[in-house]
Amino acid sequence: MPQSFWRRFVRNRPAVFGLAFLVFVVLLSLGAPLLFPGDPFSIVGKTFLPPFADYLFGTDSLGRDIAAGIAHGGRTSLMVGLVATFFAVSVGTLLGALAGFYRGWIDDALMRFTEFFQTIPTFLFAIVLVAIMTPSRGSIILAISVISWPPIARLVRGEFMAMREREFVQAAVCLGMTDLAIIFRQILPNVLSPIIVAGSLMVATAILIEAALAFLGLGDANAMSWGFMIGAGRSFLRDAWWLCAIPGIAILLTVLSINLLGEGINDALNPRLRTL
Amino acid sequence: MSRSTMFSRSLAAALLAAALCAAPELALAQKRGGTLVQITQPEPPTLASYLSTSGPIGQVTAKVYDGLLEYGFDMKPQPSLAESWTVSPDGKTVTFTLRRDVKFHDGKPFTSADVQFTIMEALKKVHPRGINTFKEVTAVETPNAQTAIFKLANAAPYMMAALSGFESPMIPKHIYGTGDIRSHESANKPVGTGPFKFVEWRRGELVRLDRNPDYWRSGQPYLDRIVVRFNPDSATRTALLERGDAHVAGFGAVPYNDVKRLAALPSIEVTTKGYEMISPVVEVLFNTKRPPFDNVKVRQAVSYAVNRKFAIANIWFGFGKPATGAISSNFKASGLYTDDVRNYNVPNAVEMANKLLDEAGFPRKADGTRFEIVHDITPYGEEWQRFGEAVQQQLAQVGIKATLRYEDVPTWLKRTYTDYDFFLTSNFLYNLADPVLGVHRAFHSALIKQGTVFVNGSRWSSPQTDELMNKAALEPDAVKRGALYAQLQKLTAEAAPIVWVQELLFPTVLNRRYKDVIVSPLGIYGPFNRAWLDN
Amino acid sequence: MAIGPRTLLYVLRRLAQAVPIILSIVLLNFLLLQLAPGDAATVLAGEAGGAPPEYMALLRERFGLDRPMHVQLLLYLKNVLTLDLGYSFRNSMPVIELILGRLGPTLLLMGATLLVSVFGGVLLGLLAATAVNTWRDRAISVAAVIAYATPLFWIGLMLILLFSIKLEWLPTTGMEDVVAFNEGWTRVVDIARHLILPTITLSLFYMALYTRMMRAAMLDQRGMDYVVTARSKGLAEHLITRRHVLRNAVLPVVTMAGVQVGSLLGGSVVVESVFAWPGLGQLAFQSLFARDFNLLLGIFFLSACLVVAVNLVVDLVYLALDPRITVG
Repeated sequence: MPQSFWRRFVRNRPAVFGLAFLVFVVLLSLGAPLLFPGDPFSIVGKTFLPPFADYLFGTDSLGRDIAAGIAHGGRTSLMVGLVATFFAVSVGTLLGALAGFYRGWIDDALMRFTEFFQTIPTFLFAIVLVAIMTPSRGSIILAISVISWPPIARLVRGEFMAMREREFVQAAVCLGMTDLAIIFRQILPNVLSPIIVAGSLMVATAILIEAALAFLGLGDANAMSWGFMIGAGRSFLRDAWWLCAIPGIAILLTVLSINLLGEGINDALNPRLRTL
Repeated sequence: MSRSTMFSRSLAAALLAAALCAAPELALAQKRGGTLVQITQPEPPTLASYLSTSGPIGQVTAKVYDGLLEYGFDMKPQPSLAESWTVSPDGKTVTFTLRRDVKFHDGKPFTSADVQFTIMEALKKVHPRGINTFKEVTAVETPNAQTAIFKLANAAPYMMAALSGFESPMIPKHIYGTGDIRSHESANKPVGTGPFKFVEWRRGELVRLDRNPDYWRSGQPYLDRIVVRFNPDSATRTALLERGDAHVAGFGAVPYNDVKRLAALPSIEVTTKGYEMISPVVEVLFNTKRPPFDNVKVRQAVSYAVNRKFAIANIWFGFGKPATGAISSNFKASGLYTDDVRNYNVPNAVEMANKLLDEAGFPRKADGTRFEIVHDITPYGEEWQRFGEAVQQQLAQVGIKATLRYEDVPTWLKRTYTDYDFFLTSNFLYNLADPVLGVHRAFHSALIKQGTVFVNGSRWSSPQTDELMNKAALEPDAVKRGALYAQLQKLTAEAAPIVWVQELLFPTVLNRRYKDVIVSPLGIYGPFNRAWLDN
Repeated sequence: MAIGPRTLLYVLRRLAQAVPIILSIVLLNFLLLQLAPGDAATVLAGEAGGAPPEYMALLRERFGLDRPMHVQLLLYLKNVLTLDLGYSFRNSMPVIELILGRLGPTLLLMGATLLVSVFGGVLLGLLAATAVNTWRDRAISVAAVIAYATPLFWIGLMLILLFSIKLEWLPTTGMEDVVAFNEGWTRVVDIARHLILPTITLSLFYMALYTRMMRAAMLDQRGMDYVVTARSKGLAEHLITRRHVLRNAVLPVVTMAGVQVGSLLGGSVVVESVFAWPGLGQLAFQSLFARDFNLLLGIFFLSACLVVAVNLVVDLVYLALDPRITVG
């Protein structure tokens, strides 16, 4: 099984690119202290130096090295993006699966629970949570996870509600399969597509919410991140375009890679579903 | 030529041009008509300027309400609703003769009864600064409709500087006298005697003020309408001014780096005039009860380490002047300012800082740091974040490891002024029209009030400086007052309970077609009665 | 789908659950906000540039902040039951008036965005899925990711710089012209013109999500047995798409659209800020930082009602789309 999965996967060139880029970003983040030793927040030169001159990506409004920021910032941004998404997707999928499969009072209870989290506008909810917990990398990740899981739960529930009526599920029931087995081995693999789409896009939202929080002064002030750099460069958009553009492109390429990777995994797992 | 020199020169040229435009003798004949669009940021929560001094409120209400007095750039009072006034030799009686035939916007006449009501029932009771400004006023007598006599328990020379329509608006007794003034139904529908009438407030969008045809200055105002516009995003505020969709913006509504770009446009002029009665000073506040900041040498070291020139050049883009102490140099004209104090803005500042820290008993350890603290960043916007980050780096240079902390405004206010749970934080305080109103609260022992914001948060005080301040508040002679304040500035600069970083300059961005907009030290907090559109 | 008695019972059951649900949501929101440090009096004093302690005490008493929390909570719950959403002391206005004043612009912006993004997303997803792995598909997919991953403030500002400053085709910000004070039909046209850029900005974000979701769902469906059967029966491809696949593929889009409608009252803080659109998002945002809890709770209350209602409607739409799904 795994062999054919890999064979299918590597045939998908965009997916391979996605994986490669992701590996590159991870290595860059891990190797940041070696490539750019010192504190990325330190002031190294004149302010607003343009890129591709003395400094690879130029300097910002205080004279900090942007390339060092990208390298060091990758760690925080990836952590925020991936960890928050992982939690949100896990919790959302679990609750949505249980609600959609069992229906009845379990569905009611879980959905009412979800509705509480849907009430407060997401960005405001994140601000409230961060304000209560005081800003730090951990509180930001927790806040973003909390606001992100309800849509996943609703999504997965809808899919499970549709899937449980299908013949193959009814067949599995007849065969005497346990509920958990049906949920995880029969239905879940078939509803992966929307989860992967939502999940891979969620990484972008997570990083951008972190950027918005940083702009408002609610970020973790001691952790360099791409979001922080976008927030710090926002006022200088028209004069020093590179302050926002460079971290923005980093986020874009990362999200694109995750998307392509996710799609490649999905295609490789379920080849039949994707062919014409 | 460096960018900053070039910029200062063009700024000076712009100021000269603005001054020429403001001088009435050289002005062209004013034309009637036109709508002025003013950007105010953020949107005021209410329009009850008798109840709240939240910054943006005055930008709207100063055009609707008048005060007893106005002020010229020489800071001397001029007649407004009060035609003339006399102060008794002991300073305890001030008699105002009011202008005749002044009507409120609803047609009812303005009389001394309104003055008595405004001072005694409104400003003295519910106005955040009025409670202190009019503390000595025991009664306002009204022998006739045109005379209002203020009776004071002690002389209060600073009170005469606080009678503008912005600071102490004259409100109508026949409207606000009935009902609870603290939650009045007309709170957001101001009725005053000013050049512009309140018409409507579309929340989140604009406030519309139409011309008052019965304004007591006949012929004025020249404009037909003022629309105050609210636009939360700073980049689009700049775009509005660029496009000519807005004509006036001040108080930091336009980001400093955008001001430079706008100043280069032929349709725009920039002035830093109009804030002389506010005089904001950027400061870094110590918690003087928390080690190591209970040590004066450590505080002085930090004051040396903070690089004022860097902050002014790179964070405020040239809009500032290094501060020498608690009192702004705007008070030079009234003789209350001196720069004869310890100077922290010297070329060898970093060296001095290192020396002081060694002397204070905090040598560098193996990793180069002396001690660690947490620096709270003021949550008032981006410049403050950058300033906090810059201070962190400057402290690192002298061996102080500062971890930064961000919070939102209410959390930060509580932490700093209620819990006193901080080491170091930044802030900016207005000096206001007189040091008694704005400066004393920063280090007087009577103003160490837990839970009250923007007063003595550093909790430093000394009996010596307390006495100086108490004397200066009551001293009517300007020269003697000057000497007292000179002593005060010397002592506080030496003790450094606060690092005074810079005197902030707020640029006002103006569309050149509108003339005579900034004509007093109150700037946008003025009535705009003389403003006109040159088509 | 027949609207049988079981469906009706289901709806009634949900509606009966709605009241205690909304009340508990209000209660939890109240408790949550209490955890945020600082209060409205401190904020007002801070904005005042400082205030004497007498003033702070005055404010606290006026706002009812000096009463114990359980008293404040009970009072609030009682008021909510009578639909009295309270008074915003900061704004000197009743909460319901403040909200109603901003409701119209919010519905306008969010409604327009919903229409544009759902139709645009479904259409683009369709176009991508019917030409899978061709340049058309790749272009649409990559464009969708770019649209989603780009910060909204950047998109908004770039659109303003291009269409308003450079080309001068459209107005800069705001809901209408602040100098002209238009009436009648001119006003409607004016507002419509102001609506264009903010709608495009916000729609790009949601459209990207719907496009990707629609495409993925359609590709899933096309591999399913019933499609293979239909194809082997000789049915034309486009008919298969229209009659069979579309209906099933659109389910996840409906779910996400439901989530979007539920968040309607929260507006979009960023878009409302960049375009100075007087919506509830900005109002809620400002009241959060001002700790104006009466106003904030009022907005949350209405939002709770909307979320509960929309989730019910979406569940009913599921029944219509897929006859195999049953109630409960």
